[in-house]
Amino acid sequence: MSRRLRQLIAPGAWGVLVLLTWEGFVRWRKIKLFLLPPPSRIWRELRENRSGILHVTSNTGTNALIGLVLGVIAGVVMALVAQRFVALRDAITPLSAALNTMPIVAIGPIFYNLFGTTSAIPRRAVVAIVVFFPIFLNVVNGLTQTEATHEELLRSYAASDASVLWKLRMPNALPFLMTGLKLAASLAVIAAIVVEYFGGLQNGLGSRVTSAMKSSATARGWAYIAGACALGIGFYSVVTAVERVAMPWRRRRSD
Amino acid sequence: MTDVVAMSGLSKVFNPGRANQVDALLEIDLKVSAGTFVSLIGPSGCGKSTLLRVIADLTPPTGGTLSVNGKPAAQARADQDYGMAFQAAGLFDWRKVVRNVELPLELRRMGKAERRTRALAMLELVKLPDFAEHYPWELSGGMQQRVAIARALAADPPLLLMDEPFGALDEMTREHMQAELTRICAATQKTVVFVTHSIPEAVYLSDRVVVMSPRPGRIVKVVDVDLGARTDDMREQPQFFKKVTEVREALRGIGAGAPRGVDDR
Repeated sequence: MSRRLRQLIAPGAWGVLVLLTWEGFVRWRKIKLFLLPPPSRIWRELRENRSGILHVTSNTGTNALIGLVLGVIAGVVMALVAQRFVALRDAITPLSAALNTMPIVAIGPIFYNLFGTTSAIPRRAVVAIVVFFPIFLNVVNGLTQTEATHEELLRSYAASDASVLWKLRMPNALPFLMTGLKLAASLAVIAAIVVEYFGGLQNGLGSRVTSAMKSSATARGWAYIAGACALGIGFYSVVTAVERVAMPWRRRRSD
Repeated sequence: MTDVVAMSGLSKVFNPGRANQVDALLEIDLKVSAGTFVSLIGPSGCGKSTLLRVIADLTPPTGGTLSVNGKPAAQARADQDYGMAFQAAGLFDWRKVVRNVELPLELRRMGKAERRTRALAMLELVKLPDFAEHYPWELSGGMQQRVAIARALAADPPLLLMDEPFGALDEMTREHMQAELTRICAATQKTVVFVTHSIPEAVYLSDRVVVMSPRPGRIVKVVDVDLGARTDDMREQPQFFKKVTEVREALRGIGAGAPRGVDDR
């Protein structure tokens, strides 16, 4: 328990130090409010606009979460297909790499045109696409990079392909999936925010940050950014918790 | 006595007809009767591991005949007639020790309660009953290898195939594991084919030591070891040294070129 506590104290202490330095610097240099507001001012905005920020953050968070889940499912399913059929793997991997390089700037507007700007689908679809690649690549590696001795062992027991998949490949892929999931969780939040810049419903963090910044309400913009940070930390913590539950054999090794 | 492993004229050629053709095994005749412990020894590349893998039906022979437990090797593998142990213990990190031992039983679709009882009995046999609920990384190398032996024995196969299982262990642990293996074999009456490149190990463990030469892999000498009960003291007896010397000279003969030892096939 003390170790987990320490895990919280260290980043917490750093955070406080950064905020104090920021506050001191802004006051000392008398930096104009619309350029860089001090943390105290952002905190005031957060408190005054609490329910609004919470609402907007949960909108974006929902998009990120649904997109993340869809992308993870798609990535895992395609990885399973790819490991089963080598020819398909050679086709899917470059295709998904190409998909991965498509910028949100491009796919965002295309999806808004396809599904309509009042629909939540485009934003979730974009998140799913962004999330797909790290999941797919990591899981394919996990399913295929098994130890030679393990494969020989199962072969010596005349294990079926299905048994090899269930008893060796899938558990072997779990740590890889978790690595992919950590990447994907932060990517999902970023994608969900960024895609709002290019149109669609104006009820998310991305659109609120832009409109606040445009009207020089910088402190309010920063309050929304704080919401985005909370979302990112939240997603990451959930993935870390899932990791601990899913891989009990790794738990004590790291303690 | 019945032969658990019987092969005659067995050959294995890798990449036949190509520039990188390798004659791994040439005209091997070998019989292993039930309940005996046979070691295969020879310099690296002599095909001893290949021979073991052929018996295990992990790689097909290119010539000759082979029967394992009285049937074709492929059938013996399908029936789980042998258990195998490798140089790496090859335990699944994500399974607790007892679940690792249960693996072959799961593949045989044995019921949950029954395989748990069986796995715990095996852990008792290898003297690790207290580690059933541990994960493999919590165990030392020697302990992991003992779990691997328990796993190989779990389905109670008549034959054990072991590919340098103690090769990665330190000398002290190694001798201890050899004593343990002799005890386990005496208790379970298994037939064992054991690959090693340690002469004392082969002599200590075996009823017969099969000395092989490389390229092409052939049997140059079979040394019968009849030393009675294995004890730590035996390692210091003159009879033990005599057998070690006999095997060593057979191996030296290979190094000098033409095999000098008597080919008593």
